[in-house]
Amino acid sequence: MQRKWLIDRRTYLRGLGASLALPLLDCMGWADLPKAARYKAPVRLGFMYMPHGVIPEQFWPSAPETFLSEAAPCLESLRPVLSECLLMKGISGVPIAPFNGAPHALELSTWLTASLPDSKRRNVVNIAISADQIAANYIGGLTALPSLELATMPQTHKENQEGLNEAYYSHCSFRSPTQPLPAETNPRNVFNRLFKDPAQRGASTADGTRAPADPLERRMLDLVLGGARDLRRTLGSSDQHKLDEYLDSVRSLERRIASIEYRQKEAALEAAGVSVSKRNASDSPPLEVKIPEGDRRSDYMKVMCDLTVLAFQTDTTRVSTYIGSTPNGVSYPELGFTDEHHSVTHHNKGAEKVGKVARIAAFNVEQFAHMIQRMHSLREGEGTLLDNCIMMWGSGLEDGNNHTRENLPFILAGRGGGAIQPGRFIAGVKGNQGDLLGTLLSSAGIPLDRPIGIATKLLPEINAA
Amino acid sequence: MARRPWRVVRSILVHGAALLMGWAVGAQTPSDADLAATQAATKKTFQEKVAPFVSTYCTECHGDKKRKGGISFSTALKNPGGTAFQKQWKQAASVIQRHDMPPEDAKMQPTPEEAATFIEWVANSKYLSSKDPGPFVIRRLNRTELGNTLHDLLSVDPAIVGDLPEEVTGAGYLNTLSPLLMEQYLSIASAVLERALAPENAPPNAIQTRLFGPTPPPGTDPREEARKVAVSLARSAFRRPAAQAEIDVLLRVFDLAKEDGRSYPSALRLMLKAVLVSPQFLFITPAHGPETANEIIPLDDHQLASRLSYLLWSTMPDSELFALADAGKLHEPEVLAAQVRRLLASPRSRALFDGFGAQWLGVGKLAAKTFDTAKFPQMTPALRRAMYDEARLLFETIVRENRSTAVFIESDFTFLNDTLAPLYGLEKQVAGPQMRRVQLTNPQRGGILSMPGILANTSFPDRTSPVNRGVWVLEQVLGEHVPPPPPNVPSLEKQDKRKVASLTLRQRTELHRTNPVCASCHKILDPIGFGLENFDAIGRWRDQDENGGAIDAAGELPGAKHFSSPRELRQILSERAGDLSRNLAGKLLAYALCRQLEGYDEIVLDGMSNAIAQDGFRMQTLIIKVVTSYPFTHRRIHEQAAPPPNAKKMAH
Repeated sequence: MQRKWLIDRRTYLRGLGASLALPLLDCMGWADLPKAARYKAPVRLGFMYMPHGVIPEQFWPSAPETFLSEAAPCLESLRPVLSECLLMKGISGVPIAPFNGAPHALELSTWLTASLPDSKRRNVVNIAISADQIAANYIGGLTALPSLELATMPQTHKENQEGLNEAYYSHCSFRSPTQPLPAETNPRNVFNRLFKDPAQRGASTADGTRAPADPLERRMLDLVLGGARDLRRTLGSSDQHKLDEYLDSVRSLERRIASIEYRQKEAALEAAGVSVSKRNASDSPPLEVKIPEGDRRSDYMKVMCDLTVLAFQTDTTRVSTYIGSTPNGVSYPELGFTDEHHSVTHHNKGAEKVGKVARIAAFNVEQFAHMIQRMHSLREGEGTLLDNCIMMWGSGLEDGNNHTRENLPFILAGRGGGAIQPGRFIAGVKGNQGDLLGTLLSSAGIPLDRPIGIATKLLPEINAA
Repeated sequence: MARRPWRVVRSILVHGAALLMGWAVGAQTPSDADLAATQAATKKTFQEKVAPFVSTYCTECHGDKKRKGGISFSTALKNPGGTAFQKQWKQAASVIQRHDMPPEDAKMQPTPEEAATFIEWVANSKYLSSKDPGPFVIRRLNRTELGNTLHDLLSVDPAIVGDLPEEVTGAGYLNTLSPLLMEQYLSIASAVLERALAPENAPPNAIQTRLFGPTPPPGTDPREEARKVAVSLARSAFRRPAAQAEIDVLLRVFDLAKEDGRSYPSALRLMLKAVLVSPQFLFITPAHGPETANEIIPLDDHQLASRLSYLLWSTMPDSELFALADAGKLHEPEVLAAQVRRLLASPRSRALFDGFGAQWLGVGKLAAKTFDTAKFPQMTPALRRAMYDEARLLFETIVRENRSTAVFIESDFTFLNDTLAPLYGLEKQVAGPQMRRVQLTNPQRGGILSMPGILANTSFPDRTSPVNRGVWVLEQVLGEHVPPPPPNVPSLEKQDKRKVASLTLRQRTELHRTNPVCASCHKILDPIGFGLENFDAIGRWRDQDENGGAIDAAGELPGAKHFSSPRELRQILSERAGDLSRNLAGKLLAYALCRQLEGYDEIVLDGMSNAIAQDGFRMQTLIIKVVTSYPFTHRRIHEQAAPPPNAKKMAH
């Protein structure tokens, strides 16, 4: 059932107007390095999504030369950090034939896969592993969470265009071609997931009590895993596939518990005077995240952005996705109108609707700009947190009015540890979504064993000379 | 959603198929012999007429060499009955029917007879499907089911699963597991133990005594006692008898705790936690039966009990279902039907509405739908709840009183409270927050077509949408398939803007019908939508629209059926109780199976619909037919073989 953020946020945020403190602060290596040795921070990758495209005239900079001096209307909020941003015009999306009747079912699910679903069995999810998960497979093992998936709204849209499974509407991260990853929509849960032992987190304990962690938990899970393997042997092949997802998920859970145990050992070492710190003396202290009261969408999106920043800053994960909204049924009462996002994008160049679409796009870019500015303000190593990130904001359509996907709107921010040279607008790029995703991954040092989706090449234009 | 549907094809493709095959109305599911004969005839037509038709008119652009629009018939020709190609055939039939293909400048055009043969064959292509219950995959309990099951098992509040993501249930159910979900399952297991059991070292509470029995007296073998506990725990939590190997795993967890120096109750606690994160608990899994070479087998009785119980109650089987499964009797059709009646009579069958009915009628979306608060300040959470409950109570009444499904369209009663009554103009008659049954005297009201929750759900935040309402009635009520608009539909605004500005919404929408691309669909959609225009965006009666223009609710549907008011429109639609029942049975079957219907399911549905019609479209009969149907009671245990052996022959 589709639900909108307005009500949900009310539920989530009720009585939560409080800032959250890091519970594990002292066992996360936040003590300073004693010697002059410098810790080299890793590269992080983040993706943030808005559906339905933009008003192209208000999004694209007028010329490369004036990119830094004249912000396009949609990019106004990025003005203070334009020197850290990179725009490229000419990146095309995946051609969606034979799913011509499903532009919205596919805009999000093709976004990080650059691939089309299996057209033979449309009602079951079968697409491709997404770029963020390719990254998580490579660098995710080094952090407590392999990747972080966030969304503003529940992923339950119930409609199927072209007979495609509903999940294609609302998911962008695919751990495998058949396994879409659900996203967290509750900021409090995100915080707990980032910084608390999974076994310690009692679900929805309204009274705030937490079940204690059991030190035998991991070994118990090992035994259950063995039992699941026995069960798997008695099943048919498609059922075995379901059990594989279970086995994979339990193994991932075990790794999570192990990483928490590892952090605790580090804390013990710190206490004994052995430094294992992963930060430099000059680095900013961890961001204090405030969960707001009230039900403004902008407050809600900002806190999700802050949590992403905090997760990166504390090296709890190095890969994140944030589905700022899904392709259907979203309204922005905060902007003073209740029209659904989708219906105003079919504006037929009517001034009123064009204005509304432009405001919605600018609003979404504003939230991204908030995240980028936060990252830019946090010191890390020789520079800022943003210097070590590759952040991408974008949409799966260029212009929602006629569903074009010739020049997908993207904003890149960050330097990827020096691999990317921002502060530029490159017009006339010839490439596609897969090329772009592959280029971002390889800029983050992730080797690719095959092209992503429809990719045919890398785009060296974005890299630093 | 500004969908602009443009064509109704399904009536030709689906309706009338049974008539074409010459089955008398009222016939039960055809015998296997009849089906074989029909299948042979359909294959013959394919070889003699359809394959040459496709080769002549289609494959030049949609074949191996060219794949225009990403469409090729080369694989479909090799395996015409493949479920993967059914949608392709139906789409081909609709473009042929519309004369969209072959394009006007093609070398050759089919004769009307050739085109008709092709379209008729597509309608019958389901008969190429072999008797198959469909791909069976073990299913994960959804959020509601998990909460209810934990409640029944351990007396905890079902809301304990509150942090799990919301899910689409039924046909679009995402039956996957992810690390995030698994983390949440472990958290839930911890929270459940905390809530349900007394603190460690405290005396056992009632639940512990029920689950674990007394602490074994000194001298007995604790491991032997633990084994007994494991057997009974697994039986209820796995909802079937556990295999020896499954018990052994639980005992190893017990041993693990004992080796760590834990007490007996503490070791059982860890064992319970292991049960709650086991795949046998989180998924509905079959009992480990004897090896068989058969591709398709009946569900074992325990699996059937689970499937039935989760369908009607969204929870684990109760003791009576368990006992019938243990006795091996549940699969007997009379026993199964009696259990359906028993489960439906219980208040717990409300779960069928919350899971299925609300989704079918669309009222589940109401709570979160945006409305223009300036125009409709009364759309408070209380009113939305009342709207939901009105639909629920009508649904439950039809189910429990075993009424005809036609009552969904035509009923002279509804359920109101003081919040909802003003929308009906009955605020003087109804007082108090309690929903109660109200006899309707206004003939314009009654049934789902005049129900505020449904009218509100199909509206925009600030005004009605006749097109959305029309699509809703066609798709959700009558089961027609309304395809999305083709690309490049010329938009209404391309008309002379000044001319358009002076028209009413109705006149503007009617411009669709001046364009032949749009007309054939909108001539059915629009009259239905405009026939309901007397109800505003939240379902109040009105004689004038927002701009003060008089509402013109008159229209005509195919077959020279005229109407001048919502009441007359409803009367016309109520003649299609057969379509409504077939649609409802199909949707319920898809919901029960957690997948879309395809291939052989359509044949099952034909037989089911006939039987339901014979019994006056009674709701319990409909549900019993779904529960006793072949796809519900069987499963495929091996992957479907590749194309049938004669596929090659057919292609040549």
